Amino acid sequence: MTARRRFAAFGAAVALATLVASAARAQQATDVRVEMGYANITQSGFSQADAALISLLWRPAWERWGFVTSANFTYAQDSLAAAQGVAAVDIPWKLSDRLRTEAGIAGASFSLRSTGRGGNVSTFVRQHGLASNYGAWVGGASGATDRDGVSSRSYAVDIGLWQRWGPLYLSAIGTRHRSTDWPLLVASGVMRDPDENVFDLRDGQLTAQLRYGPHDIAFTYTSRTGVAETEAAFEAVYWSGTLQIADRVALVGSYGRQLADPLRGLPQAEVLTASVRVSLGPKPLPVLERSLIARASVEPLALGGGMLEVRVFAADALEIVIAGDFSEWKPIRMEREGTMWVSRTRLAPGKYRVAVQVNGGEWRAPRNLARVRDDFGGEAGLVVIP
Amino acid sequence: MNMSRAKQLLAALVLTSATVAPSVLRAQQGAPVLDIADVRTREAVQREFARAASRGLPVRALIAKAQEGVTKQAAGERIRAAVSSLARRLEQARDLLSPSPSDAEMIAGADALAVGVPATMLRQIRAAYPAGASVAMPLDVLTELVARGVPASNALSQLTQLMRRGATPTQIAGLGASVQSDVSAGLTPDAALEVRARGVMSLLPSPAAISALAPRGTRP
Repeated sequence: MTARRRFAAFGAAVALATLVASAARAQQATDVRVEMGYANITQSGFSQADAALISLLWRPAWERWGFVTSANFTYAQDSLAAAQGVAAVDIPWKLSDRLRTEAGIAGASFSLRSTGRGGNVSTFVRQHGLASNYGAWVGGASGATDRDGVSSRSYAVDIGLWQRWGPLYLSAIGTRHRSTDWPLLVASGVMRDPDENVFDLRDGQLTAQLRYGPHDIAFTYTSRTGVAETEAAFEAVYWSGTLQIADRVALVGSYGRQLADPLRGLPQAEVLTASVRVSLGPKPLPVLERSLIARASVEPLALGGGMLEVRVFAADALEIVIAGDFSEWKPIRMEREGTMWVSRTRLAPGKYRVAVQVNGGEWRAPRNLARVRDDFGGEAGLVVIP
Repeated sequence: MNMSRAKQLLAALVLTSATVAPSVLRAQQGAPVLDIADVRTREAVQREFARAASRGLPVRALIAKAQEGVTKQAAGERIRAAVSSLARRLEQARDLLSPSPSDAEMIAGADALAVGVPATMLRQIRAAYPAGASVAMPLDVLTELVARGVPASNALSQLTQLMRRGATPTQIAGLGASVQSDVSAGLTPDAALEVRARGVMSLLPSPAAISALAPRGTRP
């Protein structure tokens, strides 16, 4: 990569960061995170390479749909560089809260020692079925890669199951790949019959994740085998951990082996990363917590006052409580209705502060309410009943 | 000091004690037994309640703040500091909303100060509303708008215009929710308030109509 291109890539990263930060100021509840750090990457047959990482994530506070977009930049001096962008949307079905469809698109530009220069576009769609503490999905994905003028296509279908027990999350995924991306797979040690043009792979993956207080530890084991004329037998273990050290700041680290991803054109490598994650939103949002999809609405009553209804989408929660001025801050257990948790309270005209707690965690304001600090290091939502 | 003045002073003292003592006692007796482990902190919080009662501040707001801290498992010292800070804001709001603000107005004023509404704006909002009419709801809406990111001066300007044009408390109270729905749709909080305030104003009689309808011989 020439110095001019490096400078252009750095400029693009700074411009995107500025754009995202501006969007954060305009949208009060927008979740914006920046992650910067160091990576040490070893690709098969090459010496270790040090790299700098920059990652940006932007998640607007849409009330019904979930949307997240992120951009990642990896840069190393000796031609190991990549830029990736991902946008995904999560759409709940109107027929049932137990059904959600997730779809996304990702794009990448890379210049890799092992496989050359090029770009990739991939799309995926997954249909989720959710129960209280478990769920399943089935999905499909496709990717197109162009590398030094050679085009290839990859496809995959996957099926997954997950279960949550309190702070512990477990998932099992089976994936079947078909790819013509021979530069990537050969560089990753995958072989095939010389007469065949297509690589077939089967992956089995187990993930365990533990979230407790400011800690988040995840372990992933992947087993890959070749199918038909494809020869492959790999195992990979990958660890990652996050420690939240302040409202806006978390330390993130990971280590392990990542298998080649033909869908996204990513090579097989041993990876070590250490980075700092900062939340840039106008209000400090917990870095670790998955965004709490809680929504409050007020239905005016004929005799004055209103009915405050708070709904929380948290299919896997064990218990959700609500408290506020109206309950003299005594917690009231919310009622489960399918995958939603609901609270309805009749209130006289006036202003009320409200907060919701999931599984004994932090007290959070419903997403669509004005948010204020609570004097105790947390937040509460404000609602005015006409 | 002659005898007559001494008697007057004594009578005033007795009267003051008779007025203040029951409210202090009520505050002490009615205060909940808070689940604060540290006895000294718990007693300090109880003393804060009694002190607030003696100054005519709404103790229920302080009790709620302490209970909020207990529910959120805050440290005892943090609860005491939060109660003490709220008591100071209540006292400031009482002075700014004088001459005789209600409990609801003091609480609304204290919450407005907490989100960063300048003290002078409390006086302005009091002056913009007829004497005797509660400013609790306008203050609550001002607090909500500022918490949503609307600059305090813009929020106050829109609210006072609406109040002068005779907007009802219901119309004013609905502003916050309307602004939120517009913000969700992509408008900035400031622009959303302007649009919604104009919408409410279009439903109100014009200043000329208010003048024409005003009884003759009185100032509109």
